[in-house]
Amino acid sequence: MNLFVLVIKEIFYRKISSLIILLTVVTASAVSVAVFSLSKASENETRKIMREQGLNLYIFPKGTNLIDFYSVNNTPSFPESYVDSLATSRTFDAVRHLTGILQVRYPDWTDPNGSRHQIVVVGYKDEAMQRFLSRQETMGFDVPAGTVRVGALLAKNIPEGDPFVMKGADGEPYRFRISERLTEGKGILDQGVAFNLADLQKVLGMEGQINKIEALGCVCHDGRINNARNQVQAIFPGLEVTEMSSIADARENQRLMMNKYGAFIIPFVILSALLISALLFYSNVQTRKPEIGLMKALGKSNQFVTGLFLIKAFVLGLLGAITGFFAGSLVAVYFGREIFRFTAMDIGPVWNIFGFSILAFPVLWMISSWIPALLATQVDAAGILSQE
Amino acid sequence: MLEINNITKKYRKRGSIFTALDGVTFRVDKGDFVVVVGPSGSGKSTLLHTIGGLIHPDSGQILYEGRDIYSPDRVASEKYRRTNVGFVFQQFHLMPYLTVNENIKMVCSEISHQQRIGHYLEKCALYPLRNKYPSELSVGEKQRTAFIRAIVSNPEILLADEPTGNLDPQNSSIIMSMIEDFHLSGGTILLVSHDPESAKYPRRFLTLDSGKLT
Repeated sequence: MNLFVLVIKEIFYRKISSLIILLTVVTASAVSVAVFSLSKASENETRKIMREQGLNLYIFPKGTNLIDFYSVNNTPSFPESYVDSLATSRTFDAVRHLTGILQVRYPDWTDPNGSRHQIVVVGYKDEAMQRFLSRQETMGFDVPAGTVRVGALLAKNIPEGDPFVMKGADGEPYRFRISERLTEGKGILDQGVAFNLADLQKVLGMEGQINKIEALGCVCHDGRINNARNQVQAIFPGLEVTEMSSIADARENQRLMMNKYGAFIIPFVILSALLISALLFYSNVQTRKPEIGLMKALGKSNQFVTGLFLIKAFVLGLLGAITGFFAGSLVAVYFGREIFRFTAMDIGPVWNIFGFSILAFPVLWMISSWIPALLATQVDAAGILSQE
Repeated sequence: MLEINNITKKYRKRGSIFTALDGVTFRVDKGDFVVVVGPSGSGKSTLLHTIGGLIHPDSGQILYEGRDIYSPDRVASEKYRRTNVGFVFQQFHLMPYLTVNENIKMVCSEISHQQRIGHYLEKCALYPLRNKYPSELSVGEKQRTAFIRAIVSNPEILLADEPTGNLDPQNSSIIMSMIEDFHLSGGTILLVSHDPESAKYPRRFLTLDSGKLT
């Protein structure tokens, strides 16, 4: 008889013990998926808050008057290659994500109705990741060349489908496709336009220049701001580092705390569940000694006996992983939407970990049944079968 | 066919050594019907399980067709149990989650074995019960199922350890006649039994006492 059929029949026969083993997998899988999904949601929330409510650090040319930064159009600039230099520097590891920005006030923009406005134009260089730190997802957003993202106040004055047009430093009009009309509440960008850096540099005649670097992913407490400042200035003495937002810090702290607890909770729950499961498999071996003895008497191999337990563990591990994934995702969605208000609607199952779950949990549960399975092969068939 | 040469088996029990088999030597030829008798604790079951490949003797040899069944080749030993030997126990040891049919089918490694199941079920009046689980069977029905399981793959040797020990006289008689049928069809039998019913059949007696053949 097929080993798999034998395993399935035994699972249904010993429903309670099988169900308890299944519950251990579901619990471990659900907790892991929920914690991981919430951690991911927290990361997305942090990213959004950092982008929209302020960032950890800004790196400016030394002497920049920050009070006037948003109201003048002639702040000191520096080469955009500095971003890449910092990203590839072995001595700069205070922050992970770096975005070179050219941000100026454009005093004379004429909307399609002929009205003139003072607006903010911001050019974003594609985000650079610190090369010698572990890779993470991009924290900000990149603006593709030839397109712009228009702030809510400007968008009201531009008919749907029209391009964004502005006069360049050379007096020529430049047209850009509007890829997104931003909603209100984006701070300075409500009255501004986001460009690809190279596009804006060309319009303004400032090729290769930026006037600030946004640095994300730094928690600037316990002296790290000083550390970041020292590291930047050791490389570029002409730049200075300023801490801009405590909100983002708070969120980043929350995210790191979540990761820290997750790093403890997930292994703790999985190991506890594995231990309980191993004991249940051991108990299963004790209960099934006459069956195992009989199988040995019938000439079934040790591999066959081991397979009875390993396949059972695999089947329950797989079922538990699938159930746990959906249960954990439901928990994450329910609580995540309560906690993370900015990204509430983006919270959903993290499908990337589904594949990992259905692979990892069956394998882990097979490992938990390994010792009981080996003990099963040592059952004294003669002793068991001759009992009256 | 089967040569048992000077086998010894000792157990340690509560600090003292208990000799279950002490230099047992005999030969079983094809078609023999050997009944092993002796008082409780004389080593009958140990002898049967040793011949069945389940208890490794401390010394001595068991040769089947000239080959040591306890050779280091574990696969060969498993194959010996799977193809050459059929076991019947006092406690039927049926899989509780398999039906009568499935319990028998479990040992069938060839299609021809499976094709015989229906014939044996009919012969043992179990055909109507083929889809019942062991918990739904009487003790006699359970032992008949266990007996079919032992012989369905057409083993050379049937090792029966008190097969009628738990049965009433009527069921004992049915089982013994089935064992006799197996013998008449050319099968070799080693039977451990106290059942006077077994005296009706032609056989060779071996008496064990304190692990020695007398």
